[in-house]
Amino acid sequence: MAWVTWRQHRPQLLAMAGLVLGVALAALVTDLPIRAAYHRQALASCLPPATRSGCDIIVSHFRGEFAGRVAVARWLMVLPGLAGLLVGAPLVAREFEHGTYRLAWTQSVSRRRWLLSKTSLLALVVVVGAAVLAGVATWWRVPLDAVGGRMSPGAFDIEGLVVPAYAFFALGVGVLAGLLLRRTIAAVSVALAAFVAVRLGVEKLLRPHFLPPLHRTVTGLTQGQLAPDWILNNSLVDAVGRQISTSREDLAILHAQQAGIDPQGYFLSLGWRRVITFQPPGRFWAFQGIEAAIFVVLGLLAVGLAVTLVRRTPA
Amino acid sequence: MYVQIVQQVKEALRLGLLDGGEQLPTVREVVADLAINPNTVAKAYRELEREGLVVARQGRGTFVSSSLPAASLEHHDDLRRQLEQWFRAAQRAGIDEESIRALVSSTLREALARRAA
Amino acid sequence: MTATLEASALGKRFRRAWALRNCTLTIPEHTVVGLTGPNGSGKSTLLGLAVGLLAPSEGSILVLGRDPRSDPSVFAEIGYVSQEAPLYRSFTVGEMLEFARSTNPRWDRSLAAELLGAGSTETRVAALSSGDRARLALTLALGKRPRLLLLDEPFARLDPLAGREFLQLLMDGVSETGSTVVVASRVVTDIERVCERIVLLADGHVRLEGAVEDLLADHRVLTGARRPLGTIHGVERIVRERHSGRQLTLLVKTDAPVLDPSWSVDEIGLEELLLAYMASEEVPAPRPPQLSRLRWHG
Repeated sequence: MAWVTWRQHRPQLLAMAGLVLGVALAALVTDLPIRAAYHRQALASCLPPATRSGCDIIVSHFRGEFAGRVAVARWLMVLPGLAGLLVGAPLVAREFEHGTYRLAWTQSVSRRRWLLSKTSLLALVVVVGAAVLAGVATWWRVPLDAVGGRMSPGAFDIEGLVVPAYAFFALGVGVLAGLLLRRTIAAVSVALAAFVAVRLGVEKLLRPHFLPPLHRTVTGLTQGQLAPDWILNNSLVDAVGRQISTSREDLAILHAQQAGIDPQGYFLSLGWRRVITFQPPGRFWAFQGIEAAIFVVLGLLAVGLAVTLVRRTPA
Repeated sequence: MYVQIVQQVKEALRLGLLDGGEQLPTVREVVADLAINPNTVAKAYRELEREGLVVARQGRGTFVSSSLPAASLEHHDDLRRQLEQWFRAAQRAGIDEESIRALVSSTLREALARRAA
Repeated sequence: MTATLEASALGKRFRRAWALRNCTLTIPEHTVVGLTGPNGSGKSTLLGLAVGLLAPSEGSILVLGRDPRSDPSVFAEIGYVSQEAPLYRSFTVGEMLEFARSTNPRWDRSLAAELLGAGSTETRVAALSSGDRARLALTLALGKRPRLLLLDEPFARLDPLAGREFLQLLMDGVSETGSTVVVASRVVTDIERVCERIVLLADGHVRLEGAVEDLLADHRVLTGARRPLGTIHGVERIVRERHSGRQLTLLVKTDAPVLDPSWSVDEIGLEELLLAYMASEEVPAPRPPQLSRLRWHG
């Protein structure tokens, strides 16, 4: 089945390889100025525990300079999922569309073995390709991660174990959709919707709670954000611990201004303080592991369901 | 259909296109050429063998009987006419095809058995 | 003699309509069977059920003694070419052969090469003529030396010459592999010259089934003066009745020679016989499967 899988999916696999190569090349080219700036501005000396005067400005300038490129890099997030879907959906759907399932499923390979072999081989290639992309992204972000950390979604989603896990899940969902819907375009659409829903659901609803978040109270002048953290929440609470709404905060500031006193000092006197809820950077690999595991399991479920159902179609 | 093959081979023998000892085309060759059922060809060859015109050699093919003198084939036209007359008489008597076949086969068998004895 | 295909009260329903109903059939080994009937009579459905691409709505079907839906090992011994002979269009001829070799353990490379004959293996399937595509699909099925070969309307898209070439290839292959063949064809003349048995389907039911030789031997056309009909000695059943003016023509199934002098007795051709059964409204009750020659005595 290895030769058959390769030959049938050759164009897609070559396209994928080309894409990975293209991204790697683009990364190489675009990363050079970032690294150059990093060294030129001696940013290393601004990172905790080291510090020097003017670091705030240097750091924020650095981040601002490359914000555009960072935003573009975030779109790398799309690639593993898309690749998985576009490889997985036509696997069965195309055979139905061209009627070749009548050829493929009347040979000496059972349907289950046929589907499992093809899916496994393609999964291997897709996962490896995604891993390479993750490696490239990690390398690209080295200077940026040093400054801004990699717990926040823009970085977390394109580095590490989650990338191949997303790709695997996308492939599984694609294969299942292709089997059930029997039309490539419909399968890609439905699988895409399902993929996005699960991805966003996990990111927004589950990831913040993989491990109980930490809290830090800040009473000083600064906002107290340590860049490498993933900030989940930043709110003002009163002496008892109740959150203060923005309107109440605005009112208090107004009050302080009218009284001619510094708002920060006023808050302090009221016993108000800022509480920051965050996930520390040390948990990066733990979180990567948990999220990757979730997607791998979901992917296995999708593939398992497809392999179980393939024997029953068409009814 | 197989009757046609039998007749074609007999014709070839009569015209001298096939000599004693020569090999007939294999079943596969005939089938690939004429697009007919291999069982039909096999049946025809068996019939020819039963009539003593050919001999099937295991694993080698089917060959024209080398003991068949060409001259004797000339007499067959006469015999054929006589047979046709007999058939018409049998049909008039109301005997169906199956019974005619049975009659001919059993008579032939008995005749051959008597000759051998 | 074992049976290659056994259907027992087999039925298939799509939504509300029955494509095949109450089909009981046995096909013996080493024979060429023609499966014929008008469009929509259930031929493709029957073949689809035989290769497990469809699931029975009622009844059962066993192929080489196994249920094709639950025992995929049977596909090592079945060759199947569905309608329109699907192939992977971007593959070359050589790659299609490689596909067959990779997916069938019992692949005979030399037989396949022999059957394919001359012609480049680098040609893409999409560039082949419909005749060449049909022959390639047949080669892929024959190359695994199947015990049973099922062909669904192979002549449908072929011109007469391509059809003849296809038949030549089929018979050549079958004489080499000894496969049992079931060919579904709407047009019975396409397969008449090679069939030993016929199965006639109409409206999803088996109307006629048996060895061609026997069917032709057991049916006669009686022509005579128009008269009220009583029993005629030798006639088991009247299949079709036609009258014009003072003449009455009957197509009958016989169980003994018809010797009544008031009738002129003639034989009937296969196509004519099948047409008569296709038109007949009577649906024969399902018979127990018979492996021997069809005989209707007593």
